[in-house]
Amino acid sequence: MSRFFATGSDSESEESSSADEITPKATGTTFSKHIVCCPLRFRFEELTNIIKTIRNAMKIRDMSKCLEEFEQLYRAFLKSKTIVDKEGVPQFYIRLLADLEDYLNQLWEDKEGKKKMNKNNAKALSTLRQKIRKYNKDFETEIVSYKEVLNCSPNDEESESEEDEESEDWGSDSVDSGGESEDNEGAAASLAVVFLKKYVCFNLELLSLFLFDGFKRKRHKKMEQVDEEADEEGEGEEGGWEKVKGGVPLVKEKPKMFAKGTEINNAVVIKKLNEILQARGKKGTDRSAQIELFHALAGISNENNLGEGILVKIKFNIIASLYDYNTNLAAFMKAEMWKKCLECIDELLDILFENSNIFIGENIAEDSENLAISDQPFRVRGCILTLVERMDEEFTKIMQNTDPHSQEYVDNLKDEGRVCGIIDRLLQYLESKGSTEEVCRVYLRRIMHTYYKFDYKAHRRSLGLQGETKSEQDQEESEGEDSAIIMDRLCKFIYAKDRTDRIRTCAILCHIYHHALHSRWYQARDLMLMSHLQDNIQHADPPVQILYNRTMVQLGICAFRQGMIKDAHNALLDIQSSGRAKELLGQGLLMRNMQERNAEQEKIEKRRQVPFHMHINLELLECVYLVSAMLLEIPYMAAHEFDARRRMISKQFHHQLRVGERQPLLGPPESMREHVVAASKAMKMGDWRTCHSFIINEKMNSKVWDLFPETQRVREMLVRKIQEESLRTYLFTYSSVYDSISMATLSEMFELELPTVHSIISKMIINEELMASLDQPTQTVVMHRTEPTSLQNMTLQLAEKLGGLVENNERVFDLKQGVYGGYFNRDQKGGYQQRQNYQRGGYRNQNQSSY
Amino acid sequence: NLPFFITCLVVLKIIKHYQEEGQGSEVVQGVLLGLVVEDRLEITNCFPFPQHTEDDVDFDEVQYQMEMMRSLRHVNIDHLHVGWYQSTYYGSFVSRALLDSQFSYQHAIEESVVLIYDPIKTAQGSLCLKAYRLTPKLMEICKEKDFSPEALKKACIGYEHMLEEVPIVIKNSHLINVLLLDLQEKSTVADKHELLNLSSSNHLEKSLQLLMDRVDGMSQEIVKYNTYCRNLTKQQQQKQQYLQRRQQENTQRQSRGEPPLPEEDINKMFKPPQAPPRMDTLLIAGQVNNYCQNIKAFTSQNLGKLFMAEALQGHSS
Repeated sequence: MSRFFATGSDSESEESSSADEITPKATGTTFSKHIVCCPLRFRFEELTNIIKTIRNAMKIRDMSKCLEEFEQLYRAFLKSKTIVDKEGVPQFYIRLLADLEDYLNQLWEDKEGKKKMNKNNAKALSTLRQKIRKYNKDFETEIVSYKEVLNCSPNDEESESEEDEESEDWGSDSVDSGGESEDNEGAAASLAVVFLKKYVCFNLELLSLFLFDGFKRKRHKKMEQVDEEADEEGEGEEGGWEKVKGGVPLVKEKPKMFAKGTEINNAVVIKKLNEILQARGKKGTDRSAQIELFHALAGISNENNLGEGILVKIKFNIIASLYDYNTNLAAFMKAEMWKKCLECIDELLDILFENSNIFIGENIAEDSENLAISDQPFRVRGCILTLVERMDEEFTKIMQNTDPHSQEYVDNLKDEGRVCGIIDRLLQYLESKGSTEEVCRVYLRRIMHTYYKFDYKAHRRSLGLQGETKSEQDQEESEGEDSAIIMDRLCKFIYAKDRTDRIRTCAILCHIYHHALHSRWYQARDLMLMSHLQDNIQHADPPVQILYNRTMVQLGICAFRQGMIKDAHNALLDIQSSGRAKELLGQGLLMRNMQERNAEQEKIEKRRQVPFHMHINLELLECVYLVSAMLLEIPYMAAHEFDARRRMISKQFHHQLRVGERQPLLGPPESMREHVVAASKAMKMGDWRTCHSFIINEKMNSKVWDLFPETQRVREMLVRKIQEESLRTYLFTYSSVYDSISMATLSEMFELELPTVHSIISKMIINEELMASLDQPTQTVVMHRTEPTSLQNMTLQLAEKLGGLVENNERVFDLKQGVYGGYFNRDQKGGYQQRQNYQRGGYRNQNQSSY
Repeated sequence: NLPFFITCLVVLKIIKHYQEEGQGSEVVQGVLLGLVVEDRLEITNCFPFPQHTEDDVDFDEVQYQMEMMRSLRHVNIDHLHVGWYQSTYYGSFVSRALLDSQFSYQHAIEESVVLIYDPIKTAQGSLCLKAYRLTPKLMEICKEKDFSPEALKKACIGYEHMLEEVPIVIKNSHLINVLLLDLQEKSTVADKHELLNLSSSNHLEKSLQLLMDRVDGMSQEIVKYNTYCRNLTKQQQQKQQYLQRRQQENTQRQSRGEPPLPEEDINKMFKPPQAPPRMDTLLIAGQVNNYCQNIKAFTSQNLGKLFMAEALQGHSS
């Protein structure tokens, strides 16, 4: 068994055959090389590599490294469980375990040395010691036997220690020396094990060991000879051995894909493919070389016209290994890798389109694949949809990891077109071939790439503008249907056919977003209300929640553009009031201390971020929110100036106002917030012109309003709203000063038409907000002057409070009575309440009489 | 209660102190100096406490006062520490802080008083300066530091009996009187009196606000007391039940000839709830009373003016 541990070739050589002869048939298995020896060798190579590092770490007393490696070793050993079961526990493994335990115990005893150790190491030492103790229990017999071997044959030990050193640099050593030393130990070990199994008697065992020792030494010499011969032969035949690194034996052989003269057919290529695949995911496998290998293989199969089936298979593998290239999930693809990946997928799709007789699917078993050219259609295992989805994710990752203000970002963004193209092609392909579920998935991908883009063409078309030049017009026509129609079609398909809730939820949200983006407020709102997403969105996963938040925000902004201030405010309230809009929209992380969020969480959160080109402008969002809050809050404040129980409509807006008030020196507004605060102050006085000039000016235009597609319309709406709300505020604030006021004056003051003024005032009167009546013949508002003054308001409040006080006092009195007179115990409830009622009534009567 | 004399210098110094350092609801404080002459107090001088922020740790107030008094003695000024003064904001001064410091003054020097100066009223034209002392009853309670409801009940103290006002007589030396008379002739201001001016309702509003605030405080105190009472009653009941059960059991045991159950410390089992201190309530009540007096005085004055104006109008038309 041990023969193949470190031999680095997969093609046949004399050496292995000679080894076959020499190796005692300890396990009694005969193996054909290609099937058994590959996994065996890989597994054991992995183990020996780790052991090597452990020994190195032991030498430099690096306990933490030791612990780490030991854990890896343990895992690797578990992986090779099947082989171990078949072949028995490898001797080198046992040896390491025993040595390590001894070593650790020795360290443990050495108190002085322990003190000198740094904290990490000391900690690692104790954990490692415990672990290995526990672990070694499973291998007790083997270790004991090993130790006996050591004790009984000092000679042997010596030789082994020599071998130790040898084996430590297996990796860089030449193949034959590695093989040789390995062989010796292996043989010795396996023999020992066999003997142990057979003879329990200690004496016998000793005897055998001594005997064996002699035998081994003889054989050792013989071995060397054989090896030398083999070497020479090898040189003669293959033109020189290449020195092979322990870890990656396959890669270096790459140029020699197939032996000369081998007839290249399907079976050979597939075998080779599998061989390469074996190395996938292993530690120490050179991933870039693997990709090249696949490419070469693809080239070979192309040259030899092996048919599309095999090509598709290889392409699948190329793309998969491209994805594998980064082991870290957070890392993103390098540019050239990404390009390659795109090309590959494109080519794959080309092939698939050209050859309609290829069936692909993830549920086609490896065995039932049909790759050879025959009458039957090709059957290839693999899922193109998954690959494309993965590609899309990689694209997102690339965008997330690029600085959004660099040229690089723009360059990367150009690839978006290609990504969309690929998704489109896949969509066409799957529409004809895929199952509904797959179609739903690819539709969702398509939607995800469409929903956040504003369709300027459709916008222009709807405005009735034709493209200026003829060529542009042509382009427009050639570019096909409106995104709205596409969205509608795709989403409706998903609504009808999708069975997983998640895809449907995403589709609905995207659909709403798209509607909102294109100012189709009523459709968007109805869809949102019909979906009932508000009720259960908190159970969704974070990416969907982020999408939901984005949609709500877009909905709010849309409502604002349509002049539905109240709706806009309500939609934005949740996001804005938390003060974490940035985080909720997935547009950046908030600065927080590490206690609240460890590095792991931060990574996860980073992965959720929305790429920059999909961001919603946060300043626009805040401005829209604040302006709508202003339009609602200022008249409300004016109306309820003296109300003690006045509620705030928007806490955030009040906060901004307070911040503005706290400023010691009030200069002209600079930021957007200051503009809104200044405008609010003007509005409080009913001065709509100043308010207007603060909200709509050069600065605000460039910062906020110009970001809307229909800037002019929005601005007009805004001016009108400001006029109306200012009028209301003015009437609330100053009604007490007027006996009557002519509506003509008001309409002149606020530059509103008379009917509008009339309607606003009528509404206020109906809602009992304004105590006044309209005098029709003279077109004036006559104030009733029933509003209490501030002093009166305050007195009312005081009266209320005193009422409460009296009530509380009564209660104390009641209790006293209860305690002394037994009143309370007799009928607790009735008596108490009766008294209460009586008292309240009395108090009210008193109040009324005093008014 | 004998009135005590106070010199014009002290009044002017207090006013000046507030003008220079006090603003809004901030209060200024200072030390009164004087002599006790034939069991009558004469206040002849004063000096302010310097304003200092809390983070100024090095500042030692006592040190400063001692230093100040020593310096004053050098220039032959009365240096007996006979009390302190404090400005007030719309008549709000009845507070725990005032109580504590006045107690410590009065504890050390029996004759000490606290002068309360109301700058707002003074600004309206009538000098408002009042002197207060703690009543002997309150002194007793403060000495014992027992503010539980029972103790207060036993002491029979209400908010009316907490502070006693001491009449003030402002007395000047003859020289100053001469100077004043001289100045009176020269001054040109006094001709026009805005006697009928209804001082703005702002004053009333402020007073009302403060009053409301205190009423709120009072309500809270009462609620606290209420809960305490209820808890107490509940516990009493439990205790009673427990005792009854115990007695029943004991009689049963007796009838069976067994020894009765051992006595347990009943107070340990039913720890009476912590009684809320009632001093705050008293203080609040005193403050509310104070505000009410203020408002009453203010409104009656204004009403009088209104009636007068009405009469004048009727007469002229």
